[in-house]
Amino acid sequence: MSPIDRRLLFHVNWPLLGLTMLLFLCGVMNLYSASGFRLGEGMSVDSFYQKQLVWGLMGLCGMTCMTFFDYKHLRTAAWPLFWITVALLAAVPFAGKTIYGARRWLDLGFMSFQPSEMAKICILIIGARILSMEKERLGFLKLFCILAVGLVPAGMVILQPDLGSGLSILMLLGGLILYRGLTPRVFKTALVAIPSLLPLAWFGLHDYQKRRILSFLDPATDPLGAGYHIIQSEIAIGSGQFWGKGFLAGTQSQLRFLPEKHTDFAVAVFGEEWGFLGMMLLLTTFCVFLYQLMVIARDPRDLFGSYLAAGIFFYFFWQILINMGMVLGLMPVVGIPLPFISYGGSATLVNFCLIGLALNVSMRRFLFKQG
Amino acid sequence: MANLYDSREQQPPRSGLLLLQACILGLFCVFALRLWYLQVHKGEEYAEKAKENQLRQEPVFAPRGLVLDRGGTMVAVNEPAYALGLVREDVKSLDATLAEISRITGTPMDKLQDTYRRGRKRVKPFEPMLIVPDLDFEQVAAVEANHLRWPGLEIVVRSRRYYKFGHLLAHVLGYVGDASEDDLEKDSSLALGDYVGKNGLEQMLERRLRGTKGVRQMEVDATGRRLSESLIKKPKSGEDIVLSIDLGLQATIARQMEGKAGSVVAMDPDTGELLALVSAPSFDSNAFTAGLTPEQWKALRDDPMHPLQNRATQSVYPPGSVFKLVMAGAGFMANMLDPRETAFCQGSLALGNHVFRCWRRGGHGSVDLEQALVQSCDVYFYKLGMKLGVDRISEFAFAAGFGKPTGIDLPHEKGGNIPTREWKLKRFGQKWTKGEDLNFAIGQGYTQVSPLQVARYIAALINGGRLLKPNLIHGDPPVLQGRLPLTDAQRAIIKKDMVATVEDPRGTCRRVQTPGVTAGAKTGTAQVVRLTDELKAMPEDKIPYHMRDHAWMAGFAERGDRRVVVVAMVEHGLHGGSGAGPSVKTVFDYVFLGKGVGPVPEVPEAPDNNE
Repeated sequence: MSPIDRRLLFHVNWPLLGLTMLLFLCGVMNLYSASGFRLGEGMSVDSFYQKQLVWGLMGLCGMTCMTFFDYKHLRTAAWPLFWITVALLAAVPFAGKTIYGARRWLDLGFMSFQPSEMAKICILIIGARILSMEKERLGFLKLFCILAVGLVPAGMVILQPDLGSGLSILMLLGGLILYRGLTPRVFKTALVAIPSLLPLAWFGLHDYQKRRILSFLDPATDPLGAGYHIIQSEIAIGSGQFWGKGFLAGTQSQLRFLPEKHTDFAVAVFGEEWGFLGMMLLLTTFCVFLYQLMVIARDPRDLFGSYLAAGIFFYFFWQILINMGMVLGLMPVVGIPLPFISYGGSATLVNFCLIGLALNVSMRRFLFKQG
Repeated sequence: MANLYDSREQQPPRSGLLLLQACILGLFCVFALRLWYLQVHKGEEYAEKAKENQLRQEPVFAPRGLVLDRGGTMVAVNEPAYALGLVREDVKSLDATLAEISRITGTPMDKLQDTYRRGRKRVKPFEPMLIVPDLDFEQVAAVEANHLRWPGLEIVVRSRRYYKFGHLLAHVLGYVGDASEDDLEKDSSLALGDYVGKNGLEQMLERRLRGTKGVRQMEVDATGRRLSESLIKKPKSGEDIVLSIDLGLQATIARQMEGKAGSVVAMDPDTGELLALVSAPSFDSNAFTAGLTPEQWKALRDDPMHPLQNRATQSVYPPGSVFKLVMAGAGFMANMLDPRETAFCQGSLALGNHVFRCWRRGGHGSVDLEQALVQSCDVYFYKLGMKLGVDRISEFAFAAGFGKPTGIDLPHEKGGNIPTREWKLKRFGQKWTKGEDLNFAIGQGYTQVSPLQVARYIAALINGGRLLKPNLIHGDPPVLQGRLPLTDAQRAIIKKDMVATVEDPRGTCRRVQTPGVTAGAKTGTAQVVRLTDELKAMPEDKIPYHMRDHAWMAGFAERGDRRVVVVAMVEHGLHGGSGAGPSVKTVFDYVFLGKGVGPVPEVPEAPDNNE
């Protein structure tokens, strides 16, 4: 644990920190609007934004903690971390709690946590470690070895069953692999192979997942079912028009037409109330936020730091892409929240911690490696 | 920053950094364009949609397809029924509302809560959950009267299955019931409170009978009151099905079978269509629609007469002497049977230290194949069985369609059993013995067949050797499942001998003679228990019912090109001729002489809700 000296503080990527806080506060404000009424069972959800604030405070603590140590230690800890994660994932079927029909949680007595969240962070670290040592673009053999490492936790998570988390682990690793780069031959092969494998994947999907995809292709086929979310979400966003309806004035959201409006579809409430203008500001904020992560990846002290930052970049990038894509009706419904905007406990915590890690990389960029 | 790195290799991959920037740019462009499209380009339209005060959609129930008999009489129809729907987004206080429902309908509170809990996951936003499936008229009125005080309650009109002839077609049609958790899991197009076929054709033809729901769209104001509504998708009712069953014949047989247990199958041998399929005793299909109480269900399930059992397809019995028709076929197939050759019957046959008796103590004397069938001589067939052996007999029995289900469109059909050497070794760990050949030859022992299999075999004997799938749908093309390995001449001999069995004064099937009709048949008795000497000495009507032999008769009749095959099996009916004969005769009389019970009375509907 190196003492925090002033030089470190000086090099912190302040824009990233500021943008994170800005996004988080936007999210809390939006939740206040989205939860200003009751849901079906007479259950008042007024407290969502308060709870989110509490999670945010915990997240800030987590974020701060993540900057105290030199991130190079993660490199050493990568493999042990990996095996611990695999062990925890393996324990889930035996010791896990079943929630909503899927065993995903481990009960620690004082809190329950999802090893799949840990698996995402772990893949990020192990991926950064392996790939930062690669001198060349990846050939077939290397690519398969790395994919195999990722497939172990991903497969275990998919079997829980938690297809969403499993795929995000693979996408995170995929992003890192692309960041390292592939030899042209591998790249061309993948371009051909992946689309041809998609029809096969279709047979592995659950019925409800197929329905979501089909209803996404034509929402009108199932206007009462899976298509409902997409239609309502488009109506909410579209009806915001250019200027928006104003804070707390979103009729779609206030009249309970929009499902999941405080979680996955939170940004639709934002779109309705703040309009095209607000959404463009939010989108721009997200893009600058991602740009700052890119900057951290560009100017690190060592390659490991660069890959860590790139991994964090992809962690956020995929979530933003998939969530906004879904809310805007460009993608099938998959339950992935929007970082800092959607309500979520452990997700908020993890998001802040990863920002902490990115700051960690940025503030140590001028420290020369010792030994 | 380049001076920070030890070497070129220590620099972050340039292509990777470009990729990150491309990602950001792509994200921005795609979403900016989409936002422009949604909020600016089509914003007006969406704003209009949103303002239109919030359209709601709910399903419109599609009626299930009707079922008619071959003469066009409707046998399964739909009647309107009213269910209480609960839109949970509109309910102010759930507990108070449930208490009110409980007060109006008398449904216990815990049951309502249970239904609500199960239904909550299953309904879409703003869709009424069917919390009470069936309301009577007063209850409907009570709900309507309090409509404003209890937002979120509404009356949902749907159709309920009604079987016009209650017991008469229960084993053919089966019944419908509320979709179970299991059904809902398996089939996404089902909603809580939907009816699905649970047995019989209702189950097997579920896909064809079930319609597609429509969608009704309503405008509601903020309190959930409807302002207007329109159909945006018409419900499509299910396909109507015409049965091969002749309702009049079915009713006539059912009347004749009253008080008995057993089954009668009447089949058109040329198409495989079943003109009647009666299993007695029967049950009322309508009882299931409303949902049986657990007590009612228990009573039906545990009834010692097993009314739910379809005795034509789900019960298998030893065929007794009916199997002699199969033996004749096996002999022909193996080229080891000359119909003119005689065997001498002295009333029994000794094999090793065991004596196999003929049913006629005094013996039949010298008999050829025709007389052996006419008088059902056991010794003749013992000898044939010894000659053929188990392998040849079972080979033909399989070829004749025994030992496996017929494939009729009814659930849980049984295939029965045809023993083989391997089967016995596997089942009992013992070798097949010579003596078992003899038992096998007269249809006793391990052999088990269903009445439907026998009917299909008899039909094949007279229709040119075609084994046809027994068919319950009128007009479906015949499905050929196989051919008997017999020549036309060989089948003609068996057919001639069956006719002799009816026409010969010594024949066991004399009682089914029908004027102007050529009929042929064969009787059989299936032992239920091995009778002790004490029981044998008793007069037959003193033997306890459950120990009496089962009575079989399988036969056909034709006049010109009108033909029918009938198999009757009466449990504990003692003798084929007297026990099962009357049922066969009933069918011949109906088909060729027009003697039936006349118009079939419909069962009264369930108390109507609209009066």
